[in-house]
Amino acid sequence: MGMRNASLDELLNHYDIFDNDFVSDPFPLLDQIRESGCPIAHSDQNGGSWMPTRHAHVVAMAQTPEIFTSREVGVIGLSPESKEGPYGGVRVPPIDSDPPEHHGHRRAILPTFAPQAVAKYESITRDLCNRLIDGFIDNGTADAASDYAQRIPVRVISMILGVPFEMEDDFVDWVRGVLETGLIDREVGLQSRMKIITFFMQQIEDRRANPRDDDLISDLLRLEIDGQPVDDIFVLGACNLMLIAGIDTTWSAIGSSLWHLAHRADHRQQLRDHPDVWPTAVEEMLRVYAPVTMARIVAHDTEFEGCPMQAGDRILMAFPAANRDPRVFESPDQVLLDRENNRHVAFGAGIHRCAGSNLARLELRVALQVWMERIPEFELIDPADVTWKGGQVRGPRRCMVRF
Amino acid sequence: MCAIAAPDVFGSDEIGNAVVLIEGDIPRDLEAAAKRAEGNCPERAIEIRE
Repeated sequence: MGMRNASLDELLNHYDIFDNDFVSDPFPLLDQIRESGCPIAHSDQNGGSWMPTRHAHVVAMAQTPEIFTSREVGVIGLSPESKEGPYGGVRVPPIDSDPPEHHGHRRAILPTFAPQAVAKYESITRDLCNRLIDGFIDNGTADAASDYAQRIPVRVISMILGVPFEMEDDFVDWVRGVLETGLIDREVGLQSRMKIITFFMQQIEDRRANPRDDDLISDLLRLEIDGQPVDDIFVLGACNLMLIAGIDTTWSAIGSSLWHLAHRADHRQQLRDHPDVWPTAVEEMLRVYAPVTMARIVAHDTEFEGCPMQAGDRILMAFPAANRDPRVFESPDQVLLDRENNRHVAFGAGIHRCAGSNLARLELRVALQVWMERIPEFELIDPADVTWKGGQVRGPRRCMVRF
Repeated sequence: MCAIAAPDVFGSDEIGNAVVLIEGDIPRDLEAAAKRAEGNCPERAIEIRE
């Protein structure tokens, strides 16, 4: 523990994205790797991985799914147990689907997340943000992460799936069990996965008995791919995806953005004085605090930018590193809310570019706008008390502010 | 992203894929927005020809 004091050689050969320093402030470490003579580092930690850090490399790999496959997208390999049993085939389509199946899998969920489809969630999201703030505004303090950010995407996703809001705490526990604790503690990961599958099995049975016309689970059950009705394993996978991809990620982006605004009075002022800056401000938050790192698995032995990669090697797509590449972004470490050109890859690139990006953008914008309307001035109570989680998804998990 | 940067130039179809809304040359009053869309595309999929 303590990569901040590591030598460059140690960083390039043994980086550990779960290291405390990597979690709390990965950017100086990612900068060192990207600007070294070896911008695609290789570590022997956590089962071994390559990590491209330049924007051009990350995008090129994302756009070459024949070689850099998505058969596993976790930053650490799946436990063998998770692939066993009757539900061993439940995955997270289309994130971990490869061509040719990928296209049908992605096409199945895209209509739910098209811009015109997600627009109908704006007013509901706004109401929900306001209700959360009603709950703590009189206290003068709140945990911007757990009292606010954490509660928004999970409720929106519950609404889309047609499951009760009361599931909120369970969903958050399960998702963190898979994406955070479960990456280190396999037993927790496996149990959390089974809780998600068991829950959605019950929901599927319920929808079969009582079909509805306004929720995603019912829609998925009616779905056909290439003229064939989809099986339960696919529907379970798509539901699994909604939780795994739709909760931790957006909540981390909202939390990081609030953390940023809490210590940048000038940016709070800029948003109040120039509300027209909101669209670029949201993109800039996504660029500098890109929460997600996805993995790829090398299909066959290949050489990429001089790196000898072998079939089965894991690649960590360091989107947060690519987003601060000075070759693409002017003054990459400066947060410019009105940044004009912003080719950030917070949502990835290529055929696996986040299918829910329109919803994520809406949630992030509305969550920040409502907070700034209700709580225009706020600050961190103790910067040293903020805790972060990282690895697959990075964001603040405790962020106490006063107002 | 392009539909956010230049909503009069780019739209999206029913599955969210980007579509170009105008034909032929970009009207002068939309040039700035179109440039913005070009500069914000992570895939470098947009190219404006003079």
